[in-house]
Amino acid sequence: MSRLEAKKPSLCKSEPLTSERVRATLSVLKGIVASCYGPSGRLKQLHNGLGGSVCTTSQSSALLANLSVTHPILKILTTSVQNHVSCFSDCGLFTAILCCNLIENVQRLDLTPTTLIKLNKHLLSLCTSYLKSEVCGCRIPVDFSSTQILLCLVRSVLTSKPACMLTRKEVDHISTLILRAFLLTIPENAGDHISLGNSIIVPLKGQRVVDSTVLPGILIEVSEIRLMKILPIKKSDSLKVALFRVSLSGDLSDTGEGSVVVSYGVSLENAVLDQLLNLGRQLVSDHVDLVLCQKVIHPSLKQFLGVHRVLAIDRVGAALMEPLSKVTGTQPIGSLGSISPSSYGSVKDLCTAKFGFKWFFHLIPNKATVCSLLLCNRNGTAWDELKLTCQTALHVLQLTIKEPCVLLGGGCTETHLAAYIRHKTFNDPESILKDSGCTSTELQLITEAFCTALESLTGSLEHDGGEILTDMKYGHFWSVQADSPSIVNWPDLLTRCGCGLHNSREELNWSFLRTSRHPFAPLPCLPHEAVGSANNLTLDCFTAKLSGLQVAVETANLILDLSYVIEDKN
Amino acid sequence: IEMARRVINKKRHLGLQQLSAFADTGRTFLGPVKSSKFIIDEESHESVVVGSTVRLLESLDLSSAVGQLLSEAVQAQHNTYRTGASTLLLLVGAWSSAVEECLHLGVPVSLIVSGMSEGLDSCIEEVTSLQVPVHDVFDHIDSTKIFSELESLNVSLCPFLQIASDTGLILKERDLKDVASQSLTTCSLSERPVKSAKLFRPQATVGADKNTSQTPKTLRNSLPADSRCRQSVLTHSRHCNREASDQWTSRHGAAAPQADRCGDLGELAVGLSHGDHSSMRLVEGAVRLQHQNTSVCQGSWTMPFTFDISRVFTCCLPGLPEAFSCVCPGYVTVVSMFSATVLEDLQNQPLGVVLIEGDLTENYRHLGFNKSANVQTVLESMKKLQQDSSEQLWTNHVLQVLVKFNVNLVLVQGTVSEHLIEKCVHTKRLVIGSVNGSVMQAFAEASGAVQVSYITQVSDNSVGRGVSVTFWRSSPLDVGDGISRMAILLKTEGINLVTVVLTDPVTAQMQTKEDRFWTCAYRLHYALKEQKVFLGGGAVEFLCLSHLQILMEQPLNKGDQTCSGGLHNTSSWLASSLALYRPTVLKCLAEGWHKYLSTVICNTANYSSEFEARTFIQHHLQNATDSGSPSSYILNEYSKLNSGVFNSGISNEPEQIPRVYDIVTPKIEAWRRALDLVLLVLQTDSEIITGSGHTQIKSQESEGFLFL
Repeated sequence: MSRLEAKKPSLCKSEPLTSERVRATLSVLKGIVASCYGPSGRLKQLHNGLGGSVCTTSQSSALLANLSVTHPILKILTTSVQNHVSCFSDCGLFTAILCCNLIENVQRLDLTPTTLIKLNKHLLSLCTSYLKSEVCGCRIPVDFSSTQILLCLVRSVLTSKPACMLTRKEVDHISTLILRAFLLTIPENAGDHISLGNSIIVPLKGQRVVDSTVLPGILIEVSEIRLMKILPIKKSDSLKVALFRVSLSGDLSDTGEGSVVVSYGVSLENAVLDQLLNLGRQLVSDHVDLVLCQKVIHPSLKQFLGVHRVLAIDRVGAALMEPLSKVTGTQPIGSLGSISPSSYGSVKDLCTAKFGFKWFFHLIPNKATVCSLLLCNRNGTAWDELKLTCQTALHVLQLTIKEPCVLLGGGCTETHLAAYIRHKTFNDPESILKDSGCTSTELQLITEAFCTALESLTGSLEHDGGEILTDMKYGHFWSVQADSPSIVNWPDLLTRCGCGLHNSREELNWSFLRTSRHPFAPLPCLPHEAVGSANNLTLDCFTAKLSGLQVAVETANLILDLSYVIEDKN
Repeated sequence: IEMARRVINKKRHLGLQQLSAFADTGRTFLGPVKSSKFIIDEESHESVVVGSTVRLLESLDLSSAVGQLLSEAVQAQHNTYRTGASTLLLLVGAWSSAVEECLHLGVPVSLIVSGMSEGLDSCIEEVTSLQVPVHDVFDHIDSTKIFSELESLNVSLCPFLQIASDTGLILKERDLKDVASQSLTTCSLSERPVKSAKLFRPQATVGADKNTSQTPKTLRNSLPADSRCRQSVLTHSRHCNREASDQWTSRHGAAAPQADRCGDLGELAVGLSHGDHSSMRLVEGAVRLQHQNTSVCQGSWTMPFTFDISRVFTCCLPGLPEAFSCVCPGYVTVVSMFSATVLEDLQNQPLGVVLIEGDLTENYRHLGFNKSANVQTVLESMKKLQQDSSEQLWTNHVLQVLVKFNVNLVLVQGTVSEHLIEKCVHTKRLVIGSVNGSVMQAFAEASGAVQVSYITQVSDNSVGRGVSVTFWRSSPLDVGDGISRMAILLKTEGINLVTVVLTDPVTAQMQTKEDRFWTCAYRLHYALKEQKVFLGGGAVEFLCLSHLQILMEQPLNKGDQTCSGGLHNTSSWLASSLALYRPTVLKCLAEGWHKYLSTVICNTANYSSEFEARTFIQHHLQNATDSGSPSSYILNEYSKLNSGVFNSGISNEPEQIPRVYDIVTPKIEAWRRALDLVLLVLQTDSEIITGSGHTQIKSQESEGFLFL
């Protein structure tokens, strides 16, 4: 007997942002992301409280993937940050903090959401057009003929994640490896259309970081025992390869529902094995040298192939299938029927290698843009963090090759941008007011809220009680110890700005970021200055930061625009 | 699902407190004198004896986040190096309390992190001066072979004695003869315990004789065969090694003395035994056997010998007196009395062998084979079959194959069908299950067999030949479960496999004994692999202490790149206030080794209280810094072996104190791992509990939790 239950009515809440609980949870979320930001950011231990594995991290991707938020407003925020991270890898925390700051700052103003959103959009377009323009003062072009800028970029990504637990020497080592791995994925003869290859990160936990290395080609892990059985392979200029996607283990392929009835004396297993051995005979007669299988190969087939001096490597795994097929030029074989000769491919050579306590087959391709980055770190949680960070760094390099410029890091871009926006709205408010139909007071208020959001974002770089100054010439970021005397000889107390471009001896004027300043037009840095001190710059990925800025403002606008939350309680 | 976040860093750092609390439990496992612990489960009243850090942590409940990170770090160290876990645990404890102290003093977290990593890097660089190169330790073994073939034969066939004193020697020797006379090749048993006597010989007795040390090479070359004894005494001298003569002049001519080399396996082994002479003697025996074996196999072709630890295997026989512990070439294992009956027939003849990778049962299928559940077999005729027919048929088929290829021995990695074992015994065939993978590999190499998964794969090329089997001991054993079994020995010509038989009358100690054997084995393995060791007995830690003392007093040059204190972000204000906090942070780092040294000294009972030990260390530290060059001070103290600073404190007689060594990379990695863990926890400000874990928190006090 079926029973009908009355549906519960939907729950409808108006003006969700005014609720105390929403504000509280937003501030908890902001607390989490802001405390993670930057090279001295604090780490978070993520675990399920029931003895599951512990992840120690300060990366937005790991953090947000594990956070389970309930409130729709928080969900909007985390989802847009996660979307941004999945496309650009970098600047996730930046996006999340900026979005929280914007919501927080704008909420205090007594303005209608329409005005807020309209003006926010205007300020955003001011930012993006400035960042993209030639006169932008916080952007450096990337010279691909030298590695300096690229190395700085990679190093900045690595040092911003303290849970990797790298010493300075190790940072240098890993930065070089990442850059080398990236260069190995660029095809030698590029036509109009460049397609980058991929770098496969091979785990080698428990070893020293400096034991990490990069190799062209693909590494397939094998047990030592299996390695010993390797037979000498016929040497010609290349080896003929067959790559199987289908399991060669000899079990019956899916028999579907119901049952299969066989007469006594008939062995299905033997029938399948016969089929496998027939396949083996074809491989041998086709002069295949190397058989790779994603899954398991039946021991008898392996023995048969071994007798005929064909090397069989099984359990390659799904992750390696795509690069293997690319490198060898094979068509992965998906059936046990006869094989078309066009599915075979080739590799230049094959050798064995031992790294740490693991054995590998090293496939050396004829010409391909695949490389393996053997990544070592002492403990599991630091390795996981390092892997994510390396992936981010590799991605950042790919983005940089598309848009060959970088932004100044260490908070300088944000303070510089804030100074520019202040200057622009102070000196030329008409162009905005004309379009939007707002009053100049409204514009001033929003500008202040927007710029403070950017500036207090840089304040999140500081976790040890320091204070932030900005100079009145370039609008860069400078950090100073808390409670410094108000009248002080700043050049003595300061060393370099956040990105490392300027030093305190350049006759600059400073002011605390939290105090108000008269708007000024920040000067751009000169390209030759950048090159001169390029060895120790902190840099950010241009594309990722630009997108982060857009996502943050647009998400904040979306959240500010919400007037009802309707929840289906069924 | 909600999520909770707990703020760790409220007033005191909870994580660091937890770390130091966990780490304190392992204090007694440090140093040459270890005390075991009883761990009792209050619910089940079961108890275990643990004798090492790794075993301790296995038995503790470490389900908290910090506890898990700690056990992960210890496991990683253990799995990679098999040693250094106690050092790691102790340093974790010492550093986490010291770091907490730093937080109290108001040192910024980032400066603690950068200052400590920089300090450790600097110390690691500094201690390279205490490295001792290990070279040509096998030269002596070669000469042994030339001088006395017979004696070297004894080494290989006689189990190494475990003699702590002279008492009871005769009694033990009778047992030993029992073992030895059962061996395949008859061998004459030397009256004195071979080689082992050498281990107790005082070191550096002749070393003071400068005249002999000037010409060690010629002296050794002219040694006649009968002066072996004298030679071995000479080799123990630190100054009498092959290339020692140049170092001699540099030692005394130049200002900075160097740690000289270690060129003798015996000396190296004793130095690395850290008080566990009995285990190390077995390890040394295994190395010598393996070396002999590979030099026989390779002939004149000389490749540098490496101690392949995967070809050493342990066989634990609880219930037997300790004196039965020994090293045997080949594979020693235990079989049931029933299986052992076939040995009478199989002894003294070369056997054909088959190696099976998986299980040897009818239903076994290789890994990755998915059995279809929905296949039914139907009978077409009405003919009735016996119930166990399929197993019967399979067994008969296996036997047919074994008969066809004349195979009398089957080694199986997995389990074996009981029915088959029975059938095989009736036809005088021996089937042994649960054989270790590297043992299989060794037999494959030596006998020419190819490992197969199924009996149907057996062909002429996959059968190995020439394996012999014999009783290891003629009388049955009771391996603790009341069932009598027999220990047997399998070997074949040139097999690269050494079995170390470990015996102990107390079953509860067996695990500890095996762990200790492997610890020693890995120590020697790494020393030989890296070809260098540290001067041990705390010399390295002491140098770190005095180095840090010097660093603390050194002023920082502002703007100097190398002095940025390991801070990644040199533009931060932290870089400029580094000088202010540096001495505090370095002192915090020094606390780790202070604690290490005082714990070792306390454990060896040289000093009754930690306070006394610390005063003693402080005194030497002052001397070292006053001397201007701490490393020379240490080397000088070290040469006065019995001065008490660096000796292991085991022996009662001062002149019997040998040099103590330590392995290099595992030690340094243990330091690094310990510091990494402490700094990881230090930098963590909150714990985020995801998933359903929060429901438990709610029911408890929810103070300090924030919910999202």
